[in-house]
Amino acid sequence: MVFYTLQVVVVNARSALLSNFEVLNLLRELDAEHIARTKTAIRVKKEGEATGKNLHDTQTEEISENLRTVELEAIQYLSADYQPTLHQSDTGITQLVRGLQSFGLSKSEKLQIVNLAPTEPVELYVIVEELEDRLGDRMNDLLVVVSKSLQESAPGHPNGTTAVPEDKGTLGEDAVEVYEEADQETWGYDANAMEFDDMGEGVGVEGDLDIDDD
Amino acid sequence: MFVLSVIKDTIAILPANFGVPPAQALVAEINKKYANRVLHDVGLCICAFDLVEAGEGKVRYGDGCLWYKVRFRMVVFRPFASEVILAKVKSSDEDGIRLSVGFFDDIYVPLAYLPQPSAFDPNERAHFWLPDSEATTSHGLLESATVDRMYIDQGEVVRVRVEADEFYDDEPGPPKASEGVAVKREVRRAPYSMICSIAEQGLGPVPWWKSAQPDGDAMDEE
Repeated sequence: MVFYTLQVVVVNARSALLSNFEVLNLLRELDAEHIARTKTAIRVKKEGEATGKNLHDTQTEEISENLRTVELEAIQYLSADYQPTLHQSDTGITQLVRGLQSFGLSKSEKLQIVNLAPTEPVELYVIVEELEDRLGDRMNDLLVVVSKSLQESAPGHPNGTTAVPEDKGTLGEDAVEVYEEADQETWGYDANAMEFDDMGEGVGVEGDLDIDDD
Repeated sequence: MFVLSVIKDTIAILPANFGVPPAQALVAEINKKYANRVLHDVGLCICAFDLVEAGEGKVRYGDGCLWYKVRFRMVVFRPFASEVILAKVKSSDEDGIRLSVGFFDDIYVPLAYLPQPSAFDPNERAHFWLPDSEATTSHGLLESATVDRMYIDQGEVVRVRVEADEFYDDEPGPPKASEGVAVKREVRRAPYSMICSIAEQGLGPVPWWKSAQPDGDAMDEE
């Protein structure tokens, strides 16, 4: 007989910080996988009905409602038009993080700049403590680094509009297209995840150079 | 506002799912158990990120499931103290403002964290800020001209600073009874809630701080 302690152990509640961009991509990928699996299941079911055999596929039936709810609500929040996330990209963020290195910012300040993409001084004031003392007249340089990291149009929306389509079905298909191209880049996220390891040192972000893809 | 948490747990795979690759089945079970649920002192679990390691599945006496000891990483929502985030106004009342980020809505701005001076307008069901006002009481503020008031309306997108968060573990206890009559249990408290501030310059409704559209390359002064 084997006994197990049925106990949840939190090994590390905060092992790494994730940017909104990384989380949005992860969730969109999950959403695209779900949509693909659902389409397959429907096809299999139809084939089953045609041949008279009906394989009972429990796996797809047990998609967690809770997961779908939180996933779709989070995608909606992160891709809202008041967020910069849709204007961000892998290369843009790598470029931004590198560009922020010379300003002596803490990890949490850099993460907030990535998440909020401030383009005006007042937005920077709330993020960076003692902004004037520390940055002085370099404030505008920082804002320029941020602006340069953002794209005019959201990737995957060729008509250049920034509006997120209301129809979630469309969004799913767009996401599938985008992620098929970006397949190589998604694995960069593991390194990215560790990049924001909050050691509280305020030292430049190591490891972002590892993400360099040719 | 999102972190990766490393968690160790024992997960059961039902026989019906033995045909699925174990890693996939384990991730699905983890998501069923944790997604959209608050883990005490950790945050709101969003979804499994990856499996770090999993032992061999073992059959336990008493059921036909395969039990796996698993170590995995989970995407968790938990803004850190003094982090600035964007949220939407969900509702307002005399005690303050309630905010939402869609997937989480136990975010509150109590009166003490509103920009001063401000007051609650019961007709509009919204708080308003009256910068440069010399009035010090709600009564005085409510005598101001409506056009001068900076309202914080429902649905407004606001920039906020997270000041504190709180976890409440509602362990079910024995029902209280007094004099033989069962007393009704208290209203459930949210397992995870957040207090935010909009009291500083730059915080509050995003449009308050947007400078006018620049013409040419020059940035307009505020």
